[in-house]
Amino acid sequence: MADGILIENVVKTYGSGDTAVHALRGVDMAVAKGEVVGLIGPSGSGKSTLLKCLGAVIEPTSGRMTIGDRCIYDNGWKVRDLRALRRDLIGFIFQAPYLIPFLDVTDNVALLPMLAGKSNAVARKEARDLLGALDVGHRAAAMPSQLSGGEQQRVAIARALINRPPVILADEPTAPLDGQRALAVVGLLNDMAQQFDTAIIIVTHDEKIIPTFKRLYNIRDGRTVEEVPGASVPEVPA
Amino acid sequence: MISLAGRDILHGWGKYMLTGVGLGLLIGVTLSMAGVYRGMVDDAQALLDNSQADLWVVQKDTLGPYAEPSNLAEDSERPIQAMRGVAQAAGVTYLTMQIAHGDEDVRVMVVGAEMGAPGLPGQPTHLVAGRHIVRGHYEAVADVKSGFAIGDRVKVRRNFYTIVGLTSRMVSSGGDPMLFLSLKDAQAAQFQKDSDAILRQRARIAASPQLNPPGNPAVSQAVKAVQSENNNVNAVLVTLSPNAQPDEVAAAIRRWQRLTVYTRAQMEEILVDKLIANSARQIAMFLVILSIVSAAIVAFIIYTMTIGKIREIAVLKLIGTRDRTIAWMILQQALGLGLIGFVVGKIAASLWAPFFPKYVLLLPADSIRGFFAVMLICTLASVLAIQAALKVDPAEAIGG
Repeated sequence: MADGILIENVVKTYGSGDTAVHALRGVDMAVAKGEVVGLIGPSGSGKSTLLKCLGAVIEPTSGRMTIGDRCIYDNGWKVRDLRALRRDLIGFIFQAPYLIPFLDVTDNVALLPMLAGKSNAVARKEARDLLGALDVGHRAAAMPSQLSGGEQQRVAIARALINRPPVILADEPTAPLDGQRALAVVGLLNDMAQQFDTAIIIVTHDEKIIPTFKRLYNIRDGRTVEEVPGASVPEVPA
Repeated sequence: MISLAGRDILHGWGKYMLTGVGLGLLIGVTLSMAGVYRGMVDDAQALLDNSQADLWVVQKDTLGPYAEPSNLAEDSERPIQAMRGVAQAAGVTYLTMQIAHGDEDVRVMVVGAEMGAPGLPGQPTHLVAGRHIVRGHYEAVADVKSGFAIGDRVKVRRNFYTIVGLTSRMVSSGGDPMLFLSLKDAQAAQFQKDSDAILRQRARIAASPQLNPPGNPAVSQAVKAVQSENNNVNAVLVTLSPNAQPDEVAAAIRRWQRLTVYTRAQMEEILVDKLIANSARQIAMFLVILSIVSAAIVAFIIYTMTIGKIREIAVLKLIGTRDRTIAWMILQQALGLGLIGFVVGKIAASLWAPFFPKYVLLLPADSIRGFFAVMLICTLASVLAIQAALKVDPAEAIGG
């Protein structure tokens, strides 16, 4: 497997003793560069916990996680500057776009390279170029409230991609979109994964987009099972 | 790096500005309260300046003439005048009273001053219109704050006086405008009894065998003459010769004339530390309360603004924004609110100060102190919001 995301036997337990909740019981996943995989599972199965562990937002109890060629967690050892890690290695796309309402579209995207130390002019140029590539360049000066839902999600994708992270974590990115737009977003993510050599994990409940994944992980009771879309019908909660 | 605070403010500038204006009106009240206190101190200093005195000689063991009643014989000034180091000495009377002006009553401080020679202490200074008193009786000089005009006739006790001159900033320590009369007129106004009182007094003298001994009417005549004299003053104002030391001259007068003497510094202390001390404490309490209220309002506004952006803050943290960047954003917004509030408050205080019944003195130094106090209050008020923002878990941006 090429360098992308490698998750080995990751365990996450909340609490301890009788009240311990085992959210992840030994998850294994591998996503190659340029690959988009789906992560499905019923509510409470551990999808969000896995996403938070991989997003360096919460610390696993044990296991090993690697992004690209960089180990970010290894049985208690972790990268010290998680903030910089998230900024430089991980792109996030949320269920809702969560754009910063007081920044225009360009600055919403340019904020990340600015945080990484690039000048405003360079960051804005990169943002405008990427917005153009995502077909929302004409909305670069608009405020988020002036965009349609689909446009907002494209801007959110641009924000996730702007720092060229090796990994993008997408948490139900098509939930607020209708079928056509949902498929368009997934198509766009596939294109971007190829174009930027990025590994993308999409957490979803959306039956419309599940068949589009070449590989699919189903998480149940804190463990992942790899499935081939179409080979079996994944169990998707209502 | 772009200014997140600036963008956020611009995004909702109407609400932000209105909040700043509201805070500004509160700050304006606070500045005005400080101005009222400064005005009281300035009135007290103006009173001392305008008297042109270096020493105040008053009745023994009193804090007169402004803080306590003080009476001493008019002729006390003669031996004082003769003492080494004394350039001029003049008796003066002070009496605060209401006098009619048209349909309204005006509260004034009637000042009786010796008009015999120009430049005697106690005479009106800062004449802005008209002339000084030149006749022995029935002329007056008033401060413009009284609302009197030249040619007006005002009634003080039983007599009418014509306003012949107007002064400015000649006020009592309480801010009441001064009305200058000749010393004799003022003594009559202060010490003369009304007709009924004189009749009752004469009846008492006539009925008293000690004051009206049979066969000796000269005794009662003498008693009546003594009792109808109005030759007391409230203080003798003294100016010193060049090079004379106030403390030394004051000590000499205390020793040889057995009177109480205050230097300028002592009189200032009596006025500021004793006479207006309670008012100053009251104003200080108001200032403290207003500062606390302002801080609470700023804290509440900034906290509410921050809580309203929790999701955005979580996203900012998730994508790698440093805590100090978020804290700085909140602090800048609090300081911006303080800045708008201060500017609005300063303008408001300057606009409404002339309409206050008391003199409101807005000192630039107080404004500078006020500015830094507002900034400090805003900084402290933002602490709660910053704490709330820093506690936001970036995981909140991710569902589940």
